Amino acid sequence: MASCFLIRSWRSTLVLTLMVVSAVSALIFLSALAVGVNDAMINNAVSLFSGHISGMNIPEDITEKDLLQNGVAGVLKRVPVAGFLLNKEHMAMVTLICISPEKEKKFTALWKKKRKGRYLEPGKNEVFLSQSIADQLHCQPGDTLEFSPGKNTTAVTLTVCGTYTTGVDQFDRGLSFFTMGATVLPEKTGPWNAAIFLEHGVDEKAMTHRYKNGKTAGIPFKTWTDLMPDLKQLIELNYLSMGIVILIVFMVVSSGIACAFSIFILRDIREYGIMKVMGITPLETALLIFSEVILINLAASAMGVTVGVVGVSVFQNIGIDLSDYTSHNQYFVVSGIIFPRLTAFSIWLPPVSALVFSIPSAIWPTVSVIRKNAADILRSI
Amino acid sequence: MIQACSISKSHQSGRGTKKVLHDISFSVPRGSTLAIIGKSGSGKTTLLNCMGGLERPDTGSIHCLGVDLLGLSKRELSRFQRTKMGFIFQSGNLLSYLTVFENIAFPLALNRLEKERRTTELLEKTGLLELKSAMPHELSGGETQRIAFARAIAHAPQMLLADEPTANLDSQTGEMLVKSMFTMCRKEGCAIILSTHDHNLVSLSDKTITILDGKISHEKKHQNT
Repeated sequence: MASCFLIRSWRSTLVLTLMVVSAVSALIFLSALAVGVNDAMINNAVSLFSGHISGMNIPEDITEKDLLQNGVAGVLKRVPVAGFLLNKEHMAMVTLICISPEKEKKFTALWKKKRKGRYLEPGKNEVFLSQSIADQLHCQPGDTLEFSPGKNTTAVTLTVCGTYTTGVDQFDRGLSFFTMGATVLPEKTGPWNAAIFLEHGVDEKAMTHRYKNGKTAGIPFKTWTDLMPDLKQLIELNYLSMGIVILIVFMVVSSGIACAFSIFILRDIREYGIMKVMGITPLETALLIFSEVILINLAASAMGVTVGVVGVSVFQNIGIDLSDYTSHNQYFVVSGIIFPRLTAFSIWLPPVSALVFSIPSAIWPTVSVIRKNAADILRSI
Repeated sequence: MIQACSISKSHQSGRGTKKVLHDISFSVPRGSTLAIIGKSGSGKTTLLNCMGGLERPDTGSIHCLGVDLLGLSKRELSRFQRTKMGFIFQSGNLLSYLTVFENIAFPLALNRLEKERRTTELLEKTGLLELKSAMPHELSGGETQRIAFARAIAHAPQMLLADEPTANLDSQTGEMLVKSMFTMCRKEGCAIILSTHDHNLVSLSDKTITILDGKISHEKKHQNT
């Protein structure tokens, strides 16, 4: 009976369906976009340099292979060497980080932030300077610099291969990069740091927990959330804002839907009045109206989810380029392209909200229909 | 037997309280017909509504088929209307989202009775079988009233209430409808109470009461068998 009413009053059914479909699909897309923004911030922050997990002061008897566990995509060895860079009378205090350029290019995006010259090449005595240090030393790509790791150590000659700018202070001030193994530096004997990159979907907290056992026990491993609490908060804030937006949008949309439902139910009051005369009980009237509301919501929500999922799928592959709005943001230093991503939460919340909000919206018109005298209804039409 | 005893009813409106029915009493035996006549606004519809349980009188009692109608709960009243009563309105009041067939089958479905055979039988009797898939808005006034009549008697009620069923019909169609209504109801032992302006139809009923300003001004029995 309810489906018969809905199908035969197809115009009003269509209007209500469109309202619910657009609300559900828009919210699915918005929440997928919010997840995509968070993903982009994490990917940008993690893939620029630090990885999902950072291991500090790892003894030299532990190798990169020891850190390769199930779920780990790659481990990058980095050896920090503090010292002075000299260019004639100009001097800068730096932490020179010895890296493997080939591996770094595979997992990190620092090389993409090159400003002048080129990135490091394996086996060459070269240094990749931040632009601010290059300015401080008044040097250009191709110039040679002296690096002295301490007061009583021999200086090493290095060629500037290129400069970079990330926009992140931590990288732009006081850091420079050097090709590991190209010359004799203390990195060969000292403790090292590790940047660990995880496969998609692997939980970094669980992985650090695994590192606490066995050979790697006692080594401090920190996740990106430990190292970048500001980013963690930003992401949580983003989720909170999205939750509030979904709630507000649904409150606004649902009041619209509620009004529409009320109008359509009360518009059919003649039908309910006739049925009352024919002996339909108040409970049956309520069941009929609620069945209509639930049926229309289920059908419209299913359509809304489909439209939302299709919309997200389209942009999930091509991405949405928001570089113009993120170029000065440190959490979008690598790329400003957002790839919306669906989660169980983003798929289920909008249709469930639609149902939860629309059912109460049917209460008032139902009570109104039930309480109204059949004679009054028929007299008024 | 349907029995109304000292029914009074007032309506509240912006213009104050208006007494619509005043001390109305009558009885209709099983299988017989009662016509209520009176001018517009005399209280005919209100009286029919009270008899069908659609409105509650202020005072008095209504006993239908041995049941005190005013003593029933909402649910019990709905069940009583569903099984024992049939209604016909001036404008037909077919359910607009249902086809002709579905409209007639509706009370049968409500009472969990066999639908196909009975509905087809009624459509044949009313001569509207070819319209079984039509929607109510596609019907003429006469066709609508014939379907409304078929729907009202589909579940074989023991009491039929008809509020000016011929008001929107020409006199010939109206008379045909009322004649077939009376014949079929007498055959099935169903009591009919109808209100009408049409004095030609009055003579077809077993008894007539005339209402004037909410009171019975005249009562007359006819010889119709």
